[in-house]
Amino acid sequence: MSTVITDKLDNRIDDPAGRPTLITGGLSFGDLTDTVCDVVERPAPKLWFPLFSLAALLAGVLFGLIGYLIFSGVGIWGNNSPVNWGFPIVNLVFWIGIGHAGTLISAILFLFRQKWRTSINRFAETMTIFAVICAGIWPGIHVGRIWVVHYIFPIPYSQGAWPNFRSPLVWDVFAIGTYMTVSLMFWYMGQMPDFATLRDRSTTKARKMIYGLLSLGWRGSNRQWQRYEKAYLLLAGLATPLVLSVHSVVSFDFATSQLPGWHTTIFPPYFVAGAVFGGFAMVMTIAIPARKWLRLENIITPHHLDMMAKILLATGSMVGYAYAIEFFIAWYGGNATEMFTFINRATGPYAWAYWIMVSCNVIFPQLFWVKKIRHNILIVWIIAALVNVGMWFERFVIIVTSLTRDFLPAAWGLFKPTWVDIAMLIGSFGLFASLFLLYMRFGPIVAMAEVKTVMPMAEATDGKRQAQGDYHGSIPGQIQERERETERLDS
Amino acid sequence: MNESKRPPHWRSLRALEAGDAMREETRAEFPEGADQAPTALSRRRFLQLMGASVALAGMSGCRWPRETIVPYAHRAPGQIPGETTSFATAMELGGIAQGVLATSYDGRPIKVDGNPGLNSTGGAAGPMLQASVLELYDPHRSKSVTKAGEQSSWQAFDAFASEHFAALKAKGGEGLSILSESIGSPSMALEREAFLAEFPAARWYSYEALSRENISAGLEVAYGTRLRPRLDLDKCQVIVSLDDDFLSDHPDALSLNRAFARGRRAESGHMNRLYMLEPGFSITGGMADQRLPIKASQVHAFLLDLVDAVSGGAAHGDWAHHPFFEALRRDLLAHRGKAVVTAGPRQSIEVHALVALLNQELGAPGETIHYSEEKLDPSGAASLKRLSAEMSRGRVKTLLMLGGNPAYDAPSDLGFSDKLKTLDSSIHLSLHANETSVRCAWQLPRSHYLESWGDALTWDDTYCTTQPLIEALYEGKTAQELLSMLRGENATGYDIARAALAERFPSADFEKFWRKTLHAGLVEGHRSNLPAPPHLAVGLRHRLAPSAKDEGYELVFAGDPKVHDGRFAGNSWLQELPDPVSKLTWDNTAQMNPATAEKLDVKDGELVKLAVQGQELTLPALILPGLAADTVIVNLGYGRKVAGPVGEDVGFDTYVLRASGHMGFAQELSVSKAGGKHVLAMTQDHWLIDAVGFNERARRVPTLTREGNLAEYEKDPHFATSHEHHPPLISLWDEHVYEGHRWGMAIDLNSCTGCSACSVACQAENNISVVGKEEVARGREMSWIRLDRYFSGDPEDPGMIQQPVACSHCELAPCEGVCPVGATAHSDEGLNDMAYNRCIGTRYCANNCPFKVRRFNWFDYNKEVGETESLVFNPDVTVRGRGVMEKCSYCVQRIEGAKITAKNEGRPLADGDVTPACAQTCPADAIVFGDLNDKESRVWKMHENARSYSLLGELNLKSRTAYMARVKNPNPERVEDSVEHGHHG
Repeated sequence: MSTVITDKLDNRIDDPAGRPTLITGGLSFGDLTDTVCDVVERPAPKLWFPLFSLAALLAGVLFGLIGYLIFSGVGIWGNNSPVNWGFPIVNLVFWIGIGHAGTLISAILFLFRQKWRTSINRFAETMTIFAVICAGIWPGIHVGRIWVVHYIFPIPYSQGAWPNFRSPLVWDVFAIGTYMTVSLMFWYMGQMPDFATLRDRSTTKARKMIYGLLSLGWRGSNRQWQRYEKAYLLLAGLATPLVLSVHSVVSFDFATSQLPGWHTTIFPPYFVAGAVFGGFAMVMTIAIPARKWLRLENIITPHHLDMMAKILLATGSMVGYAYAIEFFIAWYGGNATEMFTFINRATGPYAWAYWIMVSCNVIFPQLFWVKKIRHNILIVWIIAALVNVGMWFERFVIIVTSLTRDFLPAAWGLFKPTWVDIAMLIGSFGLFASLFLLYMRFGPIVAMAEVKTVMPMAEATDGKRQAQGDYHGSIPGQIQERERETERLDS
Repeated sequence: MNESKRPPHWRSLRALEAGDAMREETRAEFPEGADQAPTALSRRRFLQLMGASVALAGMSGCRWPRETIVPYAHRAPGQIPGETTSFATAMELGGIAQGVLATSYDGRPIKVDGNPGLNSTGGAAGPMLQASVLELYDPHRSKSVTKAGEQSSWQAFDAFASEHFAALKAKGGEGLSILSESIGSPSMALEREAFLAEFPAARWYSYEALSRENISAGLEVAYGTRLRPRLDLDKCQVIVSLDDDFLSDHPDALSLNRAFARGRRAESGHMNRLYMLEPGFSITGGMADQRLPIKASQVHAFLLDLVDAVSGGAAHGDWAHHPFFEALRRDLLAHRGKAVVTAGPRQSIEVHALVALLNQELGAPGETIHYSEEKLDPSGAASLKRLSAEMSRGRVKTLLMLGGNPAYDAPSDLGFSDKLKTLDSSIHLSLHANETSVRCAWQLPRSHYLESWGDALTWDDTYCTTQPLIEALYEGKTAQELLSMLRGENATGYDIARAALAERFPSADFEKFWRKTLHAGLVEGHRSNLPAPPHLAVGLRHRLAPSAKDEGYELVFAGDPKVHDGRFAGNSWLQELPDPVSKLTWDNTAQMNPATAEKLDVKDGELVKLAVQGQELTLPALILPGLAADTVIVNLGYGRKVAGPVGEDVGFDTYVLRASGHMGFAQELSVSKAGGKHVLAMTQDHWLIDAVGFNERARRVPTLTREGNLAEYEKDPHFATSHEHHPPLISLWDEHVYEGHRWGMAIDLNSCTGCSACSVACQAENNISVVGKEEVARGREMSWIRLDRYFSGDPEDPGMIQQPVACSHCELAPCEGVCPVGATAHSDEGLNDMAYNRCIGTRYCANNCPFKVRRFNWFDYNKEVGETESLVFNPDVTVRGRGVMEKCSYCVQRIEGAKITAKNEGRPLADGDVTPACAQTCPADAIVFGDLNDKESRVWKMHENARSYSLLGELNLKSRTAYMARVKNPNPERVEDSVEHGHHG
């Protein structure tokens, strides 16, 4: 099988004759399986326990503070009048945004046949699920009376009161709920073959049991593959509009209000672009250290990072365009109140937040025009991390600065977060990291089955399409490989 | 215990027989201090502030509610459980009665308003009066007699007093001094007479920290007899106020407000013109047509020049060349007999004498000003100084203090609080245990006016009765009762009040007259006759001392519009009420203008050190435009040390700087930056904000608060809206048609002074929580109606306008669409209702409210409200729990109440049947409420008025509250200098 292997370590070099190899290091199918499964099977890396303890501690802080919050009231945050929404909603939008990239990579890039996505799609999807979990915490605990939060669901109560379907917050419930459900299905279904691989490689009974259950009896038969791929395609089709809808709907929370700075028609596309941008940045922030740490350098290759950097550049530019057009429309629209909101953002008391946002989201990603920078993994990571910061501040700027100064100057105010606000934000990162670290230890962090389809040997019979693979063709190599593995394990 | 003193109801025979001994025993069960709130600072101060502990509830349970053993089988005639009844009574402040109509619900007063029978005030009440009902239920009131700080009893005091006062009586009262607050009450005057008859050698002194003594003393200089000036603003065309905040800091402010507003209805064609010269910025200054910030000391110089100029002579002072001066002089001369000059109580005796002279020149007496005999004793620093001297000489053995708090508010040079401790015996009757009480041997609880019999005289000498609405919550006695007790008579307050009325108004059928008087709360038609204009002393002008030089910094003392002289420091409603001008809560500051602050290099909240005649105080600076240059203004009444957990250590005790030589203002002030900062909890942004915000605010003010000159109004009565430009306001859907009522409100900015009475009235009516300083600093105050104060124009000489903002009940309400659970929705009478039990607290509605009038319960602000304090709650209004949104309901409970009444009476609702709390209490009648479907209603007429405009109308909210633009009447000679704003769209 290892006859057509390229072992070029740097696959970023532009080769007009063909597309670059996606998997480096001359990995065979077996090597790939070993590499990925190794992460789960070998003892945890030394750093894992301290990292997980720290993350779990922070998550504990989050849940402890939620308890404190339920016990004493939402006043423990810095929210006030006029800034009735503060950190919790900023965090909600931030995490929902992060949760965007997963579905985008799995569904849209899948439909567009972007083969390189296979190496990172599991990362992205997992991140989606966990980010949506992190996001989902906020709207629930953010309300004043948590004990009656179920009023927002359309449940046929005896009192006959229904939610107000005109309210974007009700739309949110549906949008986020649907998105979470479809993402979860997509994520889980994609993992079935990989869970089966892990099951098959399991050495302990417990592992065999658990992975066995998780793989839902996956045998890798032709029929199963056929149905799997059909289902995958269907889910991808279902998920694609959701990528656009969920953040559009989240943006309606703001766009349908009449607050200057919120009331803007550009919000839906702007939010979607921002979410893709932020989601990709988060994938990179996690994947870059993880590929090193989990020895996945050959699977998540510099070429992948290069591609992602280009996406950051593209979406970052879109976001920058949105920032600019907001200003333009505020001026062009002739609404003085709105004009002031934007001038106030850029020069008022929260100008620092605005300029953090602009530099992190617009200025730094522009460096990716330079190939050298795209190829410097450290700088790529730093910029990706900064984009995360910038995207958090984007939501802060939108939500907080608009609210601080609206129509009546006598009702203007300022917002100052409390320690609880900050601790809960950090805690949500702790929760995210805990979940991710757990998944890294126990789940297939790379979609092995999918990566194999883009490896050269998957298409060994067709030299012209080498290294591109074909998703919908037969995957004899893989089946053979699996058969051999099964044999090996059985023996 | 004799038969008559037996309690009507008892718990056991032992209790009945044992009487006071039993009470002593019971008290031991509830150890002292059990009712004290925790002293450590909690994160949220309101927990302490509102905190009446459970232990206290046990204690109060012994006294109230009294157990009724006899079943309530036969209802008293006219009593309907759950129905409120009103009683007329009166509160005395500084010896002057404020007529009250108190609302009682099942035997407990829950709301006080002005007595509508007093035509001069027409049912209006000021913030202090409104808040006085909370004082009644203050769990930190003085609850029992204490002796040297130890719990004691009236029995013990009686034992002491009968012996002690018998001994004093033997000496004719030698060595006995009495210090009281101003005594205006006729029954009190009678009691005093009787008391002094028995103790002829006793000395009686009166002291009020915020005395108006200089006024009557000044008139005494001018006319030879102590007089009280009464302004008749209805007849005034030109009003000149020299540092006189007569719309707020005046015993008759309510009726002055009313008359002032009456004289400024642009529609009527009559507009008076107010000139204001003041060192600070008062709400009266905010209403002025022409205003001149002037140092307090320079008022004298200005006045001298004005007197000279008006009386035909030549003015020699510097002021004569001031453009303001010349315009004023001409205006005054043009309006002889229609002009009046008034000066504030902190101005000197000479100034007041000169004012009298000037008024005489202008032909004011008998026309725009009337004089009546001033019956209140001199209550200024001089009186207390005499007492202090006597104390130093050791001639005071026994000091009886009836109310007041001289240990706190006496001029600092007297060292009064130290001297107090040297006395053989000192007795203090007080509503609260205060700084004075703790230095006295005996501290006696005083009953609140809502639990007392008595009487009082209004500013115009109308006789008002005081009657109790509730059995005394604690063991308080009135001053009259105490004096009677000390004479060994032990008359009840009831008998004393009756006797006083009978003495003053002998009547054949006294019982009928008494009942009638009690019902009305006043004796009508018996205002003291105004004597004919008296003769001015000869050569007055030349006898008055030349004025002080204008040099250096000046310190001005101001009475606080909320806590007065400090007596209301324990009242959380007042503490949390924003100052009408600075919007500061829970604090006092050194106010200065921007230029002075720049010179001193201080910003808002930064500490400054004030030193005057060896006394020093460090307190935070607060920068306000429009104050006189080099002037620092401090409010009195803060920094209390013994005032219960609410009032203690709130703000800074500025009395330390006040000496008997400078009770009003002090020159030779040295002021410097002290370093350090203090958090100021203001409900509106500081006046100085970043440049972007500052400019934008300045740009918006003219469209939000529309204002024009009389000339502009006459040219175009629709000036407020004729320059509006916005896209056509079209609804996306067919709007609801209201068949029945369509409630609406109108607020006349021409009348509103910003006195904030509406805000306190709303708090009392709607059970609005107090949240404490930290929460206010976070922007979480709960007021349903707030007063937006805007400055405009030149920071050195700005205009000020006040705008009450409450929920406008928009027809196309932005809050309603965004609520995910439909907790806020329109009623079929057009109200924007809140369903508290449906609200889950997303706060989206508040974000989307362009007026930001929605208030959120960030915590359970009512958690710590004790049993006693909870008695003040209005049972018709839900007490909101944690996590729900609340806002102005247009007093929906009153609307429904009026509808029920009308239905029972089988008649349709008439205009005026429904009056929300804010409208009811507004002294200027600036708020009008009613049915917009009734084309005859006042509110509809106001909506249709030419001056009417819609706040943020361009948002197409279709608000139900309309504002009416303010029309100013500046002197045409000074129009170009006057504040130009308004008529923008």
